[in-house]
Amino acid sequence: MANAIKIILRADDSILCGEIAREPALEPILKTESLWKVYRSGKVDVAALRGVDVRVLPGEFVCIMGPSGCGKSTLLHVIGGLARATRGRVLLDGNDLTAMSDAERTLLRRHKVGFVFQKFNLLPTLDARHNIALAQHIHGNGFDPHRFDVVVDLLGLRQRLHHRPSELSGGEQQRVAIARAIVTEPKILLADEPTGNLDTKSSEGVLSLLRGLNKDLGQTVVMITHNPDAATYGTRVLHMRDGLVVNGSALH
Amino acid sequence: MIGHMILRNILHRPARTLITVIGIAVEVTLVILVVGLTTGLLTESAKRTEGVGADIMVQPPSASIWAAFSGAPMPIRIAGKLKKLNYVQAVAPVLVQFNSVNGLDIVYGIQPDTFSGVSGGFVFHAGHGLEAPDDILVDDVYARAKDVRVGQTLHILGHDFHVAGVVEHGKGARLFVLMSTLQQMSGAIDKASIFFIKCDRSDHTPAAMDEIRQLLPGYEIRPLKDFISLMTSSNLPGLSAFISVMIGIAVAIGFLVVFLSMYTTIIERTREIGVLKSLGASKSYIVEIVLSETMLLCILGSGFGVGLSFLMRWVFVTAFPSMTILILPRWVMFSGMIALAGGLLGASYPAWIASRKDPVEALVYE
Repeated sequence: MANAIKIILRADDSILCGEIAREPALEPILKTESLWKVYRSGKVDVAALRGVDVRVLPGEFVCIMGPSGCGKSTLLHVIGGLARATRGRVLLDGNDLTAMSDAERTLLRRHKVGFVFQKFNLLPTLDARHNIALAQHIHGNGFDPHRFDVVVDLLGLRQRLHHRPSELSGGEQQRVAIARAIVTEPKILLADEPTGNLDTKSSEGVLSLLRGLNKDLGQTVVMITHNPDAATYGTRVLHMRDGLVVNGSALH
Repeated sequence: MIGHMILRNILHRPARTLITVIGIAVEVTLVILVVGLTTGLLTESAKRTEGVGADIMVQPPSASIWAAFSGAPMPIRIAGKLKKLNYVQAVAPVLVQFNSVNGLDIVYGIQPDTFSGVSGGFVFHAGHGLEAPDDILVDDVYARAKDVRVGQTLHILGHDFHVAGVVEHGKGARLFVLMSTLQQMSGAIDKASIFFIKCDRSDHTPAAMDEIRQLLPGYEIRPLKDFISLMTSSNLPGLSAFISVMIGIAVAIGFLVVFLSMYTTIIERTREIGVLKSLGASKSYIVEIVLSETMLLCILGSGFGVGLSFLMRWVFVTAFPSMTILILPRWVMFSGMIALAGGLLGASYPAWIASRKDPVEALVYE
C-alpha cells in the first residue's frame, strides 16, 4: 500500500488540507472544494466553514480534530447532506450535494451515509432490534435478516436486541447506533464525537469497533473527536481551526 | 415498522394518549347523543301519533306536523261534517297543548268516546277513564318517570289535575285531559287542533282523503301510515341548524384536542424527527408517521366514544325513562368519520411542521 502524504497548498501557501492516498489511482469517496457554510445569526453572518478542501479515499478512517466552534460538526453535517453548503462543492461518491434539492439529499443520506452521534440518538420507544431495523425500513429494501444478523453479531448485540435504550449502557447504546448506521451498507460512516458521552472503557470498545469496521470491512469512516487518544484509531487526522483545515497527518 | 413505531409511541405517553382518546371520544359521543336524542324524540313522537290508530290526520292550512305548535284554530263542528263523508268510520277532535312545567310534554284534550272510536280505547294499568273535569290520564312511561300514581294531584298547565288512571303508552300523548277542560283553560272554546279520522277500511284512505280535500280545501290532510318518514329534523324549524351547530362544536373539540396533542408531540419528538431525517426519512415518511398515529388515536377514540354513547344512553334512560335516544348505525359510522376527518385535519399542520424541521437543528434539540 502506498502511503504518501500529500499537502495541498493555497495560492498564499497556507495549508488547506492534508491527505494520505492508499492507492493513488483511487477516486475519493468524498471531496470538498472551497466549501463555505455561513450561518445567519440575527443580522450577522457567521462563517462556520471558510473554504474547506478535503478528500477522503475509500477505506480511509479520517479523524477530524479541533477546538470547539472550529466547524467540525458543521463540516460533518454538510458532507453528510444534513445541511446545505453556502458556497463550494461537496462530492460524495460522485454526487454533487451542493447541486441537489432537499429531497435528493435525503435520498443520498438514505443510501450512502451512516451517522453516529455523540448522544446516540436512538429512538427511546423502540428496542435495539427495531432501532436497527428502522434504518433498513427507511432504506426502502425492507428487512434484510441476513445483513441484520451479520451486523448484530459483529457488534455483539445478540443478547441486547429486546432492550430499549434506557435499559442499555452508554457503550451498548452506541453499538446499537453504529449497527443502525452500517446495516444499510453506507458508502461512508460519519461519526460525531461517538465517544463523547462514554467512559474510557466503553470509548475504547467503540473506537476498536470503528477501527475493526474500517480495517476488516473496508468501511470508510470520518470521525470527529476532541480526544487525541481517540484520533489515534484513525488512519489520518485533520486539524481544523476557525472554519479551515489547517493541517493533516497520516497515522497508519 | 411504522405500525410498531406508532404503537410504541402511543404506549410511551399513556397520559397524552388517554387525553387525546377521551377528547375524540367526547366528540363522537356528543355527535351520537345529539343526533340520537333528536331522532329518538322524533321517532318516538311519530310512533305515538301513529299509535292513535287513525288513518288520516287533518290540520288547518299550513299547520306543522308538530301538532303542538299549531294552536287550535279549527271549529270543532267540522268533525260532524267529516263524519258524514264516505269511507269515514270515526272522527276524533283533539286539542293539543304544550306543557313545559316539570319537563316538556304534549297534553291531549280529548272526548273520551270519539277518541276511543278512533283509537280503540285505552288499556288501563290502573284507575279509570276521564270522568270529572279535573281528571287526567297519564301513560305508564310518564307515571314511571315522574313516579305518578292514581289518586295523586298533578300540576300541569298551571292547573291541579287529579290522576284518574295510568294507561298503556303509545296513543298520541303521555297526558290526556277532557277536551272541554283544556278548551276552557286555553280559551279555545269549541276549537280543535287536529281531527284524527278512522276509515271504514284502510285501503279507502286515499278516497277518503280526496273527499276531505274537497270539503276542506287548503287544509293539511296527511295519511298516518307514512307519518314516521315525515318526522325528520328538517321539518322542525331550527332543529337541523341546532344539530349542525352541535356537530360543529364536537368537531372543533376533536380538532383542537388532536391539534394540541400532536403539536406537543412533535415538539417533544424534535430530536427523533432529526434522527429519522439523518437516516434518510423523507418528508412524506414523517407526515405518514404523524397522520398514521393520529388515525390510530381517532379509531381508539371513536371506539371508546361509541361505548361511552351506549353508557350515557343507559344513564339517561335510567334517570329519565320518558327519554328516547336512538343510536343509529349510520350515525355511529358518520361520527367516526367526522372524528377521523377532524383529527387528520388537526394533525396536518403539526405533521407539516415535523416534515419541514431542519435536521441539524432537530438533532441538537434539547
